[in-house]
Amino acid sequence: MAFMESELPTFKEKNPQLEVVTELIRGQHPHLKGFYKNKNERVVCVKNMTPEDILLYATRLRNALGRKVVKLRTRHVTKHPSVQGTWTTDVKF
Amino acid sequence: MAHRRCLLSLARHATAIISQKKMPPLSAVEVLTRKPNPAITIPNSELSWFSFWSHSRHFSSSKSEDSETEVEVEMEEASDVEAENDNAASDLGRDYSPEEKETEAVAIGYKVLGPLQRSDRVFKDYEPVFAVVQIGSHQFKVSNGDSIFTERLKFCEVNDKLILNKVLLLGSPTQTIIGRPILPDAAVHAVVEEHALDAKVIIFKKKRRKNYRRTKGHRQELTKLRITDIQGIEKQEIKTDGKPLKAAVKNPEKIAAAV
Repeated sequence: MAFMESELPTFKEKNPQLEVVTELIRGQHPHLKGFYKNKNERVVCVKNMTPEDILLYATRLRNALGRKVVKLRTRHVTKHPSVQGTWTTDVKF
Repeated sequence: MAHRRCLLSLARHATAIISQKKMPPLSAVEVLTRKPNPAITIPNSELSWFSFWSHSRHFSSSKSEDSETEVEVEMEEASDVEAENDNAASDLGRDYSPEEKETEAVAIGYKVLGPLQRSDRVFKDYEPVFAVVQIGSHQFKVSNGDSIFTERLKFCEVNDKLILNKVLLLGSPTQTIIGRPILPDAAVHAVVEEHALDAKVIIFKKKRRKNYRRTKGHRQELTKLRITDIQGIEKQEIKTDGKPLKAAVKNPEKIAAAV
């Protein structure tokens, strides 16, 4: 409630590209739902959280792509791994 | 006895750190004395080395005097630097209100922030050029259109343009430019795609038969960068002209007809 009064308007202004919708759902814990462009939904339960924590989670949802949270295979994703030709034992400089 | 052992291990630690941190910039100075960039990097590494010594100072106050003579000289130099260091260390946790501090701290992580762009054609087609870039303590071999996951970069938000200025090597199919250790004129442009958390890693500690079991969850904060442009090396431009292609096509036709 305090978050919705104090920090939600500033969050809305900072992110004009986002569509922020508030719904009152009775009988359920309060949660943040993020809808991403790859049709992914990320739900974060914010029961018993301070407004600063809720803002932190909201910014995290905003910063992230909707990728599935899996352990990374490589830190470097590339389509063209070699520019000067891949090295083999036959290559001589 | 214990005092002497502690000091020796500390001295060994310090020499290890000297060999790790000081050696690369010193070699750069020997090779290129005119270039200003290596000179800039040296004070930074010295500062960090002296900050380590400022901690060990507390331990060495009541130690034996045999090996203290070497230590004392460095302590005196550290005392001048310590004041600046403490100020810098205390500010690290606070908000960086002045913009100059942001750019300084960002330069330590080898990147320069550029403004956001909405309708800017930054994403080009693949060019056969690569660069070896250093961010923080990790180095990546990078080409146009790659994505890179690094530690969370402060002072930049999603959809920001970055310029990574610590470039160690540039390469193309015909040319290779090696930096010693950095290339001063090279620049790699990147765009921040996302700031996200890695998958959860459970750190589980157990000592058997001792009733000791600890579970800790950890999620590392990462930044995904997309590399858009590499500058500082000649790129071969493949020009698509209509006339030469048509001439090339015509000739084989004629030859085929003649044959």
